[in-house]
Amino acid sequence: MSSFTLGHFSQVCSQLLNHYYGEIVGQVGSYLLRRGNRMLNDIPTATGLSIREVKKALAVMIQHNLVKFQASERNNNVAEYTMIHHNVYCLIRYPKYLYMIKRIYGTSEEILLEILLNLGQASASNVIFHSANRLNEANVLSPSALHQSFQRLAQDNFIIRCPKLAENATLLKVPTLEIEEKEKFAVPNVEIEPIARMLKEKATQLGGHCDSEIIWRVNHERFDIELRNVILVNAAARRVDTTAGELYHLILKLWRESSNPDSPVTTPVSYNVIKDAVRKNDSSPILLEHFDHYLRVLYEDSAGLIDRAGDAGGGQFNLDYSKVFENLACASLDSIVLERFGSKALRLFRLTRIQKFMEQDQMQNVAMIPAKEAKMFTYKLLEHNFLQIKELKKGTSNFAPVKSFILYHVELPQVVRTTLEASYKGLFNAMVRQMHDLTENQRLLEKHAMLESMLERLKGDGVPDEEIAELSDTMPPAEKSLVEKIHLMSDNLTLGQTQADETILILESYLKFKSKEL
Amino acid sequence: MALKVVIKKEKVDDARPRQSARDDDKTEIEARILELLRKYPKGINDKILETHMPNLDIQIRVDVINDLLTKKKMKLFQAPGTNELFWGLNEQPVSIKLKEVDKEENVVMRIIEEAGNKGILNKDIRDQSGLNLTTINKILKALEGKNLIKSVLSISVAKIKVYMLFDLQPDRSVTGGSWYTDGEFESELVDIVNQQCYRMLQQKAEAAKLKAMDGPLIVRNASFLSSKEICQMISDMNIVKFNLTVEEIEAILETLVYDGKIEMRMVSDGDERIKTYRIVETLLSSAAIVRIPCGVCPVIVKCGTAGEVQPKNCVYYDQWLD
Repeated sequence: MSSFTLGHFSQVCSQLLNHYYGEIVGQVGSYLLRRGNRMLNDIPTATGLSIREVKKALAVMIQHNLVKFQASERNNNVAEYTMIHHNVYCLIRYPKYLYMIKRIYGTSEEILLEILLNLGQASASNVIFHSANRLNEANVLSPSALHQSFQRLAQDNFIIRCPKLAENATLLKVPTLEIEEKEKFAVPNVEIEPIARMLKEKATQLGGHCDSEIIWRVNHERFDIELRNVILVNAAARRVDTTAGELYHLILKLWRESSNPDSPVTTPVSYNVIKDAVRKNDSSPILLEHFDHYLRVLYEDSAGLIDRAGDAGGGQFNLDYSKVFENLACASLDSIVLERFGSKALRLFRLTRIQKFMEQDQMQNVAMIPAKEAKMFTYKLLEHNFLQIKELKKGTSNFAPVKSFILYHVELPQVVRTTLEASYKGLFNAMVRQMHDLTENQRLLEKHAMLESMLERLKGDGVPDEEIAELSDTMPPAEKSLVEKIHLMSDNLTLGQTQADETILILESYLKFKSKEL
Repeated sequence: MALKVVIKKEKVDDARPRQSARDDDKTEIEARILELLRKYPKGINDKILETHMPNLDIQIRVDVINDLLTKKKMKLFQAPGTNELFWGLNEQPVSIKLKEVDKEENVVMRIIEEAGNKGILNKDIRDQSGLNLTTINKILKALEGKNLIKSVLSISVAKIKVYMLFDLQPDRSVTGGSWYTDGEFESELVDIVNQQCYRMLQQKAEAAKLKAMDGPLIVRNASFLSSKEICQMISDMNIVKFNLTVEEIEAILETLVYDGKIEMRMVSDGDERIKTYRIVETLLSSAAIVRIPCGVCPVIVKCGTAGEVQPKNCVYYDQWLD
């Protein structure tokens, strides 16, 4: 993004940086988002910060996988820094990551992930150490169990090794980083003993350890795949029923294990393999009994959730991401048109999309909507860029004005891009509103927070109840209810942001797979 | 001296035969000519007339023939092969009806007849007949008054009347089928039938779900209804006074498909392929973005960090957060 103003996506990113890392990082980040690759010396002059602050900001961002560097093309001795847009955007999804890991595995994995997200990049021992510290406050958990949890996360590719210094790196001014494919998820040997010892001594930092050179970070692509799968499974459950959702979940797992994550079509999986997996998985008896039927209903469904690709091994099944996400993107657009304009407009929109090119008269006849209303909704959709016009001239007269056919059609990638931009804007607005609400009432909220902590402390010290009640009365109930309301509003806005993110994921995935298919 | 007064008599023409006598003769001669025409269905020419009625004065004969021609009881034509002119009997029944109407009205009537059950615009009548528009309108009014023709509101050319013969049923393309009454589109009727069809499919789907123990394929196949069945059920319900055809029901069902509520599948039943329909759920319950005000905001384009419309003081957010 090398423009002078920030597009909506970049605005969201800079808002996130401001929120999670503070103003200085926010300013540096915004500058890099706006201007693309920049050398270190450009940044202080543009942002007005001191070089020390800029260096610190860049270090923080590199540590948290938000910025990457490489040798500049013009001068091999100087590094250029670029923002990794996707990773910055994924900051908003961290709560979802934690929830997913908790749901799939359990608390210990969740803590491991949380520590890793907080540290950005860390070695396995470090992560295990800090998690054990955190967990020790609640339960006693031995580091070896955590080590196993860590291995499980690595096996399922949720965490990935960071690239290390290349061999000839020390010779260059700007080091290059690389990693081999097979090493990406290999967990090294971790010595549990030193960690256990440190824990007993209640140390806050792990000293030198054997695997300090091997650093891990969160694998964002894997989490994206997981989020997409959740949407697909929900769609399958809606289309058929919950048991079908279970079956689909299993099949998605099989596909993920056998396919390349970047390809738009998964490798086919045979019927027998699926059946084995179902049996092994100990699923509901209905699924076992009607396995054939469920599979058939799913692949005959028009949503394209499963495609039958051949007959070997009892039937080969694969998934065409571009087709299924096209259907999901269309469903999202349909829902947006329905909520914004009404059901008649939705009918016209779907009609035009399915029939490709339609004239005004045809549209109103097929949709069985009165002429005046049909015209009004058509023009409304046109105004908001959901429909596009194509003119074809009829007649080749050179003199008289030539009449033309006016055809309406839906240019899907264009409409999706427009809606995506609008979604980014909506997300940004929700964030701005949240920030505004909190800063406006900051004084009140701080006062309330101070009061609460004081009360907690006093309760712990065993102060009699009347004094506590007296103290809590210093804040009138009106203010208390206002604080309640503000918290509620803030929660609603956070939820709203998560919702916007879901639509953004679907639309982004559609565009990504569409471009891959071409 | 007494002069002899002679009163000059006015010179008068030769006594003409009495008018009434002439008339009687005429009708008699007419009848005879008509008889001759009937005897020789292929036609008679002047020669035959002469041989049969040798005493007939040429003038009288000419008069009578002219009368018959105007009354359309006989016609003049050229026999094929020869250049001679023949007289023939006119068998057209319309001529009996049109006995009392004008020549111009005849022309107009003929054009309307030719238009069949699609009817014709008065503009087109003018083009074909070459008559004046006002004259045509007058004639049309007269003919309507006599209940020979009628006007029907056409849907294709908004609110323009087409004319056709009184007895004919107007074609579907003109009246638009059951959905149009008096040229107006009946959207309430369409909506009612629409909702009924949807409800029926819903009921079928729910009944099918009870068979969940038999597996999803059975559930799915049991939730289909064919268009014929739906038509039958709607007719049984007597919502509309007239019967709806299968095509019309299919048109309604197609709009439901375009609503995204149902899907269609062709099934071969014996020799023919019939359309069956069932309810489907959408892939998403609703696009998540519509749950925040920005997703459905009408002024999203004008919203920004400065100016009238800002998220900080957005009224939609205020309403939503309360």
